Amino acid sequence: MVTTCFGAGTDVGCVREVNEDSFLVDASVFAVADGMGGHHGGDLASRIAVTEVAALAGRHHGAEEATHAIVAALSAAHRRIQALGRDDGGWYAGTTVVAAILVGSGDGARWLLANVGDSRGYRFTADGLEQVTVDHSVVQELVDSGALTPEATRTHPERHVVTRALGGPVECEPDFFSIPVEAAPRLLLCSDGISAMIDDSEIAAILAASPDPRDAADRLVAAALAAGGKDNATAVVVDVMGLTEDEATYDADTTRTTLHQKLGAE
Amino acid sequence: MNLELVTDPAAATSQDWAWRPGDWYAVIGSGTCALLPPEEKDRVARVWELVDAGEGFDEVLDALIASGLRQMRGFVLLGDSEGETRVVVRGPARAHFETSAGPVDVVGQSGTTWVEQVLTGVSARVIQVGASETDQDLRLPGGLVRVSRVSHPAGVSGGAAAAAEPNAEPTAEPIAEPAGEPEVDPSAETAADLPPHPDSDLPPPAPTLPAPVPQPAPTPPAPVAPPTPSPPTPSPAATEPQPEPAPEPAPDAEEDLEHDGMTRAGLPVAAEFPRTHPGLPGQPPVPEVTARPVAKLVISNGDLIDVDRVVIIGRAPEARRFTATEQPLLVAVPSPHQEISSTHLEVRPGSGADLGAAIVTDLGSTNGTVLVQPGLPPEDLRPGIAVQLIPGAVLDLGDSVTIQIAKP
Repeated sequence: MVTTCFGAGTDVGCVREVNEDSFLVDASVFAVADGMGGHHGGDLASRIAVTEVAALAGRHHGAEEATHAIVAALSAAHRRIQALGRDDGGWYAGTTVVAAILVGSGDGARWLLANVGDSRGYRFTADGLEQVTVDHSVVQELVDSGALTPEATRTHPERHVVTRALGGPVECEPDFFSIPVEAAPRLLLCSDGISAMIDDSEIAAILAASPDPRDAADRLVAAALAAGGKDNATAVVVDVMGLTEDEATYDADTTRTTLHQKLGAE
Repeated sequence: MNLELVTDPAAATSQDWAWRPGDWYAVIGSGTCALLPPEEKDRVARVWELVDAGEGFDEVLDALIASGLRQMRGFVLLGDSEGETRVVVRGPARAHFETSAGPVDVVGQSGTTWVEQVLTGVSARVIQVGASETDQDLRLPGGLVRVSRVSHPAGVSGGAAAAAEPNAEPTAEPIAEPAGEPEVDPSAETAADLPPHPDSDLPPPAPTLPAPVPQPAPTPPAPVAPPTPSPPTPSPAATEPQPEPAPEPAPDAEEDLEHDGMTRAGLPVAAEFPRTHPGLPGQPPVPEVTARPVAKLVISNGDLIDVDRVVIIGRAPEARRFTATEQPLLVAVPSPHQEISSTHLEVRPGSGADLGAAIVTDLGSTNGTVLVQPGLPPEDLRPGIAVQLIPGAVLDLGDSVTIQIAKP
């Protein structure tokens, strides 16, 4: 039985009026979605995506079964988002999504990550921060083809254009990534409001300095706002218990008791 | 002209589709019509099942694109329901409509995934997917047929044909039909829905023609008046004036999605998929999951692994960027001294010149992999370079772990 502890933070940012990001945190299923589209379609779209992914929570999955379950969930989300626009005048809404789900058990426990669009999954280990997912974005394609250096993506005019999204005119397949939990003791899922505002070294420094995943998530969002907050910023940080160094600093039951005591409820 | 001659044939034939021989497949059913290029025989069979069963536009579209869009150079899907006509065009095809708001052309374009349009008050439709060798329309109520052009209701000309002959009445065909070209009954034309398809007998396939020549340039349709100026009993949808139809929904969609200000959606493009499959030019790539294993891996810890998909082997292997339909098999091998990398190497079924053989690639392991092929001296695998494996070959990963390649 793999136990996780986790934290999440989200903020509308300094420029935008609506927070179109949504996130999901459950014991074994996590997701961040970054919506887009008129008529408040963006926040609905991202909410639909995380709601469909949430249906996977509370069940135990084998690795192969889980990939099919995620494809089905994202496909259902895609159709719901499409219907959203179709029923209301023919506009389009869309959303990115990055999801992480615990699969397998015991020695075989793994993180299965899935992504559509440019919301990212990172892992943070003793070796540092590594981006696990590969963005579905115009700039990523340019990097893959050798036309752009990774550094140049941060200023490229099309850096926010995604090439896959849920709810668009074409249904898009997610890409999957499978990692043993030991190789990803801490996961970060985030929208581009985090990853485009602060660079990887700053993300790594914050994750290293924040043993509690809730602090880590809050600080990442705060740092993105401090850097300008040009977009909605959302971060989900997940630690696998027993694998991170400071596991003793967080215990859900203890924390709850303490909080209740502090509030005088007990 | 006597009354029966006008009304009876019109009533009978207004439900028919007109077609001209070609090499595209047309699948015509009640309410849905799909056209596919000649190389899409497999999809045609599936689409036919759905169309013949009376499935709607969405179901047929799902089936059409289920096995991927990239390989399919073009298609047209047309659906009528409740007074609305939906059309999707991809690749070298064009659809022409006469609507209550005037003529509308939907032309497939290179570089986009497809062009979609929703129309109301459609009275006639013509789809051209190749050069027709004849101006003579054949007819059928529904079914599967090889075409260069289809139109409905039968007997209405339009699009390129109308443009070529500006004087031609929409209903006047230059060549007399064997059955006699009936005037199109106005009331029949306003019926937007197609009749239920009576039987599923396939009409005999038309002789195969050379590859279709795409319409060189979308000819703007001649300013012909709508075929029936004032239909006596228009369907409710037909009375709604069509608001300025947008010619290309795809770029619009992109712009709508841009609203976020930061994150924007583009459309999938072929260049997005950087994974290139080796293979013979012009041949479809071998799927990463093959029906039969090409080899069996005998691992020194006793595991037997069939190579019928990508197999990734290591101390704690990770799989990067795969799809649900091409799931790699992850095989963990013991490495008490950590000599084996967490993701050490992969073995996959070969394609192209390597078809039928297993291919090994060292995935950048720290300590490398030694390969001994039968009758050859040991060689170090170079990271990222694929090597074909001969049955009897042995891979040494370190920490006393070896993998022997056996016949499946």
